[in-house]
Amino acid sequence: MSDPNPDADGDPSVFARVVAPFVDRSVAERLVISVAAIFLSILVGFALVLVSGRIAECSTAAWTMPITGLGFCYNPFEVYVVLFNGALGYPFAVGDPGLFNPGWTPFNLSFGLTLSETTLLIFTGLSVAVAFRAGLFNIGTQGQLVVGALATALTVLALAPLLPAGPVAGLVLIVVGTAAGAVGGGLWGAIPGALKAYADANEVITTIMLNFVAANVAYVLVLEVFRAEGSSVVATRYVPEYAQFPSVLFPASTDFALIALLVGVAFIGALYYFVEHTSLGYDLRTSGVQAAAAEYGGVNAKLTTVRAMTLSGALGGIGGSVWVLMSEGRWMASIPDLGFDGITVSILAGNNPIGVLPAAFLFGILKGGALEIGFRTDVPTELVAVLRGLIILFVAMPEFFRMIGRYAGVGGAGGAGSTKPDESAGGDGGEADA
Amino acid sequence: MRNPLSPASLLESASESSYVRSLVVGTVGVLAALGVLGLAFPESVFGDLAGIVFSTSTGASTARLAAPIVLAGLGGIFAEKSGVINIGLEGLLIISAFVSVYAASVVGVGNAVLGVPALVIAFLAGIAASTFLAAVFAVVCIEFKADQIIAGLAVWLIALGLAPFMSTVFFGGVNTPNLGVSVGWKYSATMVVLATLGSWWLLNRTAFGKHLRAAGENPKALDTVGVSVSKVRYAGVLLSGVLSGVGGSALALSIGQFVGSGETMVQGKGFIAIVAYLFGNYNPLGTLGAGVLFAGLDAMQIRLQQLGYAIPDTLVQTIPYVVVIVVLALVGRTQIPEAAGEHYETEE
Repeated sequence: MSDPNPDADGDPSVFARVVAPFVDRSVAERLVISVAAIFLSILVGFALVLVSGRIAECSTAAWTMPITGLGFCYNPFEVYVVLFNGALGYPFAVGDPGLFNPGWTPFNLSFGLTLSETTLLIFTGLSVAVAFRAGLFNIGTQGQLVVGALATALTVLALAPLLPAGPVAGLVLIVVGTAAGAVGGGLWGAIPGALKAYADANEVITTIMLNFVAANVAYVLVLEVFRAEGSSVVATRYVPEYAQFPSVLFPASTDFALIALLVGVAFIGALYYFVEHTSLGYDLRTSGVQAAAAEYGGVNAKLTTVRAMTLSGALGGIGGSVWVLMSEGRWMASIPDLGFDGITVSILAGNNPIGVLPAAFLFGILKGGALEIGFRTDVPTELVAVLRGLIILFVAMPEFFRMIGRYAGVGGAGGAGSTKPDESAGGDGGEADA
Repeated sequence: MRNPLSPASLLESASESSYVRSLVVGTVGVLAALGVLGLAFPESVFGDLAGIVFSTSTGASTARLAAPIVLAGLGGIFAEKSGVINIGLEGLLIISAFVSVYAASVVGVGNAVLGVPALVIAFLAGIAASTFLAAVFAVVCIEFKADQIIAGLAVWLIALGLAPFMSTVFFGGVNTPNLGVSVGWKYSATMVVLATLGSWWLLNRTAFGKHLRAAGENPKALDTVGVSVSKVRYAGVLLSGVLSGVGGSALALSIGQFVGSGETMVQGKGFIAIVAYLFGNYNPLGTLGAGVLFAGLDAMQIRLQQLGYAIPDTLVQTIPYVVVIVVLALVGRTQIPEAAGEHYETEE
C-alpha cells in the first residue's frame, strides 16, 4: 500500500500483487489469530465480569477472591462454565462426581438452541464474507435479513391456501419461500451495491442507514397491513406447521432443524466453489484485493460490486427465511441481531466460506450459552454482545499477536508474517474509501 | 457558509461540487416556499408544516439533536484529516451517553463534588469514557496497524454491547431510569457553535492544523520535517473522542436518561455524523450546516408525529435515514485525505 504506483507493467506482477495478501497471511496464521482473539476476548470479558461484579450491588457475594477476601457479585468462573457447558447441554458434570454427566445426549434442548443459532449464523456469516471478499463491508446483512424474512413469511402465507396441506406442499412452500427471501434480501442488498458502484456512496454508511429503513418499513407494513388478528405483538400470522423445517431428533422447542443446518453446510460448499473455482468468483476476489488490477485485467468492477452485494444480500435474505421457517414460524418485529453477529463470524473465519462453519458454531455456542447465563446467573446476557465486538477488534490487529509472538520468542505461525508486516497489514484493508 | 479568506476554504471551494451548493440552495428555497405557503394558507398541510418548521420547539429539539451529530462530525474531521478514518464515532457517542448518565446518577443530581455540580461531572465522565475508547482505537490502528474500518466497526459493536451490559449491571435493565433533569437546548447550541468555531480555528489557523492535514495528505513530508506522524494521528483520534464525548453526553443529559434497547438512543447518529462531515467537505462550518439539516429533519418528524397525521410514526422516522442515503449518493466521492486509511511506517 505504501507503494504509490503498483504494478502497471505486466501480468505476473499483477498476479503477485493479487495473491500476496493471501500468501502472506497463511491459513494457519489466520487460525492462530482467530483462536488467540477468542481467548483474549474471553479474558477481557472475565475482567469485565469481575469488575462489574465488584461494583454491582447484591446481598451475598457469589464469589470471594482468595487471599484478598474481596467479595464479588458475579462469579466469572461460573459464568464461563455455564456458558460453554450450558451451550452444549451440560455434558460435563460440575460439582458431581465424575467428569461426564451420565444422562447427557447430544439431542438436548440447550445444544439444539446452540445449533439453531449456528444455522442462522452460517447464512449471515456467509453473507458478510462474500461481500468482504469483494472488498465491500456489508454491515447491512441485518436489514437484508429483515426484508428477506418478511418476503418469506408473506410469500408462504399467500401461497399456503392455494396448495393442499401436506408434506409435498410443505416442501414447495419452503423452497419458494426461501427463494422469495433470497430475492427480497438480494434486491435490498443491490441498492447499496448500485449506490457504491455508480454514485460512489460508501457502503458502510448506506448499509447501516438501510438497516434502519428496513426495520422501520417492515414494521409499518406488518403493523398496518399484515398483522395477525388479535396478536399482542407486531407479527404476521404463523406459517402452517408443515411449511416449517421439521425438528428431527431434537426436541421441537429447540427451534432447530437438522435439515436446515445441512442446507447451510451445502451453501458453504457451494459458495466456496463459487468464490474459488468460478470465473465470476475470481472477478469478485480480484476486485476485492486490488480493484485497479481487476479493472486492468478486464473485470467490470462496477458490475462486480453490484453482483457481490446482491449475492451477499440474498444470503442474508435466506438467513431471514430460515429464521422464519425454522425458528420463529412467523415474521415478528423483534428480530435478533443476527446480521451483526454475522460480521464477527465472517471476520473470525478470515472471510473464508469454509471457515464460516467452525466460526458460526463457536459463535453459536456463545449465543446458546448466553441463554444459559440468563437462566442460571445474575450476569447480564449482553456480555456476549461485548464479546462480539472484542473478537472483531482483536482479529483486526494481527500485528499485536505477531508482536507477542516475537516477544515470547515463539516462531511458527504466530511469527510467520513478521518478515513483511507492513505489506500484510495494509494489503488486507482493501479499498477503504469513506 | 464558509470563510472565503481561509486558504483551506479556497482550496476546497475549488473541489466543491456544484450539487452541494444546489442542495443548500434547494433547502433554503424549500424552507422559503414553505414559509410563504404557510402564511398564505394557514389552514392547509403547508400551514401545519410551516408551523412545525418555524416553531421554537422544533428549533429547540433541532439544537438538542444536532449536538451529537455535529460534535461527532467535527471529531471525525480531526481523525480523518490526520489519516485515521474513525467509523467508530457511533460507539463513542453510545459509551459517553451511558457513562454521563451513570456518573450523574452516582453523584446525584443537584449534589456537587468539590464544588463541581453533578451535571458537569457527568459531562466530564462521558468525555473521559469516549476518549478512553478512542485511545484504544488509536492504539489498535496506529500501534498494531489494524484495518481502520474493521477496528472502527469493533468500537461501535463493543459500545453497543457494553453500554446495555453496564446499564443492566447498575440499573437492572438496558434503559436507565430517568434522572429527572435535562440540559437545556441553549447549552447544546452553545457547545455546538463553540466547538465548530474552535475546530475551524484549530484546523485552519494553527500549526497543529497544518500538521494534522499533512499527516493525512503526505505523512512522509511531515516525517521529513521532524514531526511524528504517530503523535499527530493520536492527537486527531483523541480529539474525535473528546468531541464525541461532549456530543454523546449532551444527547443523553438533554433528556436525563440512557436508552439502551435496540440500537440504543444514539440510533445511527454517529454514522449520520460521518455523512455530515463528508457533506460539509471536511469543513467544520459545512459540517455544522449538514448536521443541523439532518437534526432538523429528525426534529420535524418528532413534531409531525405529535400532530397526528395518518402517516405511521415509524415511517416518518425513516425520513432522516433516507435523506442521509440520498445526500451520500449525491456527494459521492469526496476529497478524502490521500493517506487516510493507510498505516504509516516511520522511516528510521
